[in-house]
Amino acid sequence: MDDKLTAIGKALVDCNQALLCQEVEGALAAGLAPARILQDALVPSMREVGRLFEEGEFFLPEMLVAARAMKGAMAILGPRLAAADVRPLGKVVAGTVEGDLHDIGKNLVCTLLGGAGFEIHDLGADVKPARFVAAVQEHGANVVALSALLTTTMVNMKGTIDALAAAGLRKRVIVLVGGAPLSPAYAAEIGADGFAPDASRAAKLAARLVTERA
Amino acid sequence: MNSRERVRRALEHAEPDRIPLDLGATPVTGMHVQSVYRLRQGLGLDPPGTPVKIVEPYQNLGEIAPDLAEALGVDVVGVGSPRTMFGFPNEDWREWRAFDDTPVLVPAGYNTDPEPNGSVLMHPAGDRTAPPSGRMPAGGYYFDAIVRQPPLDEAKLRVEDNLEEFGPLSAADLAHFRREVARIRATTDRAIVANFGGTAFGDIALVPAPWLKHPRGIRDIEEWYVSTVSRREHVREIFARQCEIALANLERAHAAVGEDIDAVFLTGTDFGTQRGPFLSPRAFRDLYLPFQKRLNDWVHAHTTWKTFIHSCGSVAALLPEFVAAGFDILNPVQWTAAEMDLAALKERFGDRLTFWGGGVDTQRTLSFATPAEVRAQVRECIALLGRNGGFVFNTIHNVQPRVPPENLLALYEAVQDHRGL
Repeated sequence: MDDKLTAIGKALVDCNQALLCQEVEGALAAGLAPARILQDALVPSMREVGRLFEEGEFFLPEMLVAARAMKGAMAILGPRLAAADVRPLGKVVAGTVEGDLHDIGKNLVCTLLGGAGFEIHDLGADVKPARFVAAVQEHGANVVALSALLTTTMVNMKGTIDALAAAGLRKRVIVLVGGAPLSPAYAAEIGADGFAPDASRAAKLAARLVTERA
Repeated sequence: MNSRERVRRALEHAEPDRIPLDLGATPVTGMHVQSVYRLRQGLGLDPPGTPVKIVEPYQNLGEIAPDLAEALGVDVVGVGSPRTMFGFPNEDWREWRAFDDTPVLVPAGYNTDPEPNGSVLMHPAGDRTAPPSGRMPAGGYYFDAIVRQPPLDEAKLRVEDNLEEFGPLSAADLAHFRREVARIRATTDRAIVANFGGTAFGDIALVPAPWLKHPRGIRDIEEWYVSTVSRREHVREIFARQCEIALANLERAHAAVGEDIDAVFLTGTDFGTQRGPFLSPRAFRDLYLPFQKRLNDWVHAHTTWKTFIHSCGSVAALLPEFVAAGFDILNPVQWTAAEMDLAALKERFGDRLTFWGGGVDTQRTLSFATPAEVRAQVRECIALLGRNGGFVFNTIHNVQPRVPPENLLALYEAVQDHRGL
């Protein structure tokens, strides 16, 4: 059984989507629990992918290929996890803020959060504050992840955080922010709970903050 | 010393009489139209409400008209394609209503359609019968490309599909370059940066080809990045074919303009993110450097032109590769990104690369700091970069919109103070 988990992990770190999907199907067919495949193979391997990125072995293109592979695996695994009533680490509402159409960074953050065991509700790009509020209410989210690439749109992050406060949701959610023009100081200034410089560290930070609050 | 002599001296890594200044010579050294409007008003060049032309419709860059260039003592002027990023020419100007109500003029091809959510769509070549290729969100300041990715069938991928936009410069285009360069030479003493087009390999801003009506091949941004890893030989073949076309075009362009230009804009492909390079130096050497080197080598063997590379972000780890590829000029020198300490960059690369940019942080300082902080930063950057020439003043990439007018004035006051103007 461990061989199957090792093979899954290796296929992910090798960024081989076809092989990864094949291995996941094989493991399920052999009777491995979906939660075990996620927790003991995909999550640690995605963490390894993140480590390779942080240490300069992997770059954005490799991250995107690994993220695609992970998405392929989750497409197979997701329904089985839901059927088995596996509880996620937390529920994330994510989006690029109003006025900003850039989504590659945000997509990567979503995949790595998903790979860390979070349930993801990706609202896409150019998301108005009211939509973030509605999604938090609808899904009972405890994490809100905001992205902005532009100097002219990062100011809209504060509007989103203010809208969460006005709706009485601010204390219920951890707000994480990221994007090229942001800094830890700016994140603090607008009242976010955390800032991460890249997708890998965003996933780690979210996991840490959620665990601390639990 | 006139402007051209000043720039050429800086490019030869000798100190000119004063720091040369660029504003608007390239699509990455300009200013958003709202800021141009505010600057013109602040300098008292126009009565309130006088519109400014949008000369680059994708980023909505404003025209740096001769009177503004004169007022600031700009030393460089650009010559580019007769067609914009959306494929229409800059002609037949008319008024247009921008989201922020800045009075602007746009060319006839700048045909936008509203969407129900308030955003606006732009069409390639101004042709409303073609699917839109750009979108500006409601309240926005610039367009983003609408990715028009046909379904990809691995077995049917054709190199030609990603080469549609690369072809021989037409006689009309060559006549345009010859005429523009001659006009500038006859009417100003400024240095000229020319952008003949088609010389950048894998520029992600150009991959979606917003000027083409029905692009084929790999056009999605993520798909392209993925392809540089998972379909590398296919991408390499695209570059190889593009390189042959580009070399022939450089030869034609040189025959048209001779030594009347001073620098050639070869690439704006971004190789850096805020935190580090987009790819490893090894991958850069494998996929990009050989083709860039062929273009640089041709220019250096046959012309007196200096070659210009623009790459945003943290590229310190790639600068030895840029030097090895033969580039002379680096822009925008984004020292606000990781590992881009300005003093260290000047120390390590200042004798080989001319830093064209790096004059002030446009992500934070110019937009959000006080005028005094803007002045202080400009002075500090000039002090670090200006030593021994090899520096042309420009901001880090285009000046953004929403910059307080007093910060725009502070920026150029500090530059002029240093230049003794």
